[in-house]
Amino acid sequence: MMLKDQVALVTGGSRGIGKGIVETLAKNGAKVAFVYRGSEAAAKTLEAEITAAGGIAKAYQGDVAKPDTAKAIVESVVAEWGRLDILVNNAGVIRDKLFLRLDSDDWTTVLDTNINGTFHFCKAVAMQMLGQKYGRIINVSSIAATHVNVGQTNYAASKGAINSFTRALAAELSRKNVNVNGVAPGFIETEMTEAVRNMAGADNLKKMIPARRLGKPDDIAGVVLFLCSPAAAYVTGQVITVDGGLSLGAVSG
Amino acid sequence: MSQDEIFNKVKATLVDALNADDDAVTMTSRLQADLGAESIDFLDIVFRLERDFGIKIPRGELFPESIFQGDPSLVDDGKVTAKGLAELRAAMPFADPAELDKFAADPKLDNMGDLFTVNLIVRYIERKIAAK
Repeated sequence: MMLKDQVALVTGGSRGIGKGIVETLAKNGAKVAFVYRGSEAAAKTLEAEITAAGGIAKAYQGDVAKPDTAKAIVESVVAEWGRLDILVNNAGVIRDKLFLRLDSDDWTTVLDTNINGTFHFCKAVAMQMLGQKYGRIINVSSIAATHVNVGQTNYAASKGAINSFTRALAAELSRKNVNVNGVAPGFIETEMTEAVRNMAGADNLKKMIPARRLGKPDDIAGVVLFLCSPAAAYVTGQVITVDGGLSLGAVSG
Repeated sequence: MSQDEIFNKVKATLVDALNADDDAVTMTSRLQADLGAESIDFLDIVFRLERDFGIKIPRGELFPESIFQGDPSLVDDGKVTAKGLAELRAAMPFADPAELDKFAADPKLDNMGDLFTVNLIVRYIERKIAAK
């Protein structure tokens, strides 16, 4: 039980990659609070499943894009469990459109959730973690920040911002044993990527990936767990790509 | 709370925040030069003092490190002007006048960190508690 007695908070935790992270952290002994926006049924099911398996999890409803959400949830988690060791900023949305069709609402929606939400939650936990002299912040980025896709100016900008923010925040907080890192997933099988998978065809996608398979939420959760573990105590300000080699750009032979 | 009691509690706070040695923290210790504090530590220390003493410390009140904001009438050629010194004295009524005089004798902005001593914190907290 690597994370016994630790308290974690995961945004966007009820589905997809976030769900995998919540399950992995709980399985390793952490008390896990997670935030969901609309998927109440999925959130309650996940909470119940973890509890039934002997873990501890609690779902919080909230929109991470709203500035007050983070503070209220962080205060509530600390009031209930006394501390906060791990923050995983995972909540993210896409509004893919060609730039000429993209309107300002598509732009701000993605930026508000992906980067501003990450900011709000980091801000809300920073003093608590400094006071503890321990904290692990993990921001979920994307390889789409560096290996861009057509139709994702908004998403690429938000994830690129997360990468830079992660490094800059690490430079400030690491002195107090608060490490800040990122994980950049490649193609992971989730509801969010379903439309793209259907359009491109899973087999075509696999040909671009040296590992010859799409990723699973657990592939990301495993790296998040590593970054929360004592083994990664000296790792900070890094964004780790977890993509089965997709970003290598190798041509299949 | 006596001055000794305040000092001991401040000392415990600083040992905790800065990983400083117990013996290293005396009334005359300077937070930066003697105890190795960096900018982020000042925020951390304020946060811990608020918690440990149950007081509110408005931003910039205890450590008014950015009081001059690059204003040329307050700082000129890296030195605090007479007007700047007057503002500093007004902003730090809790500071030891002798320490302010010492700074005024060689008012290089770089020396300002020497004002932030354990003594300064103790005097500040004495006033805060008295005003409660």
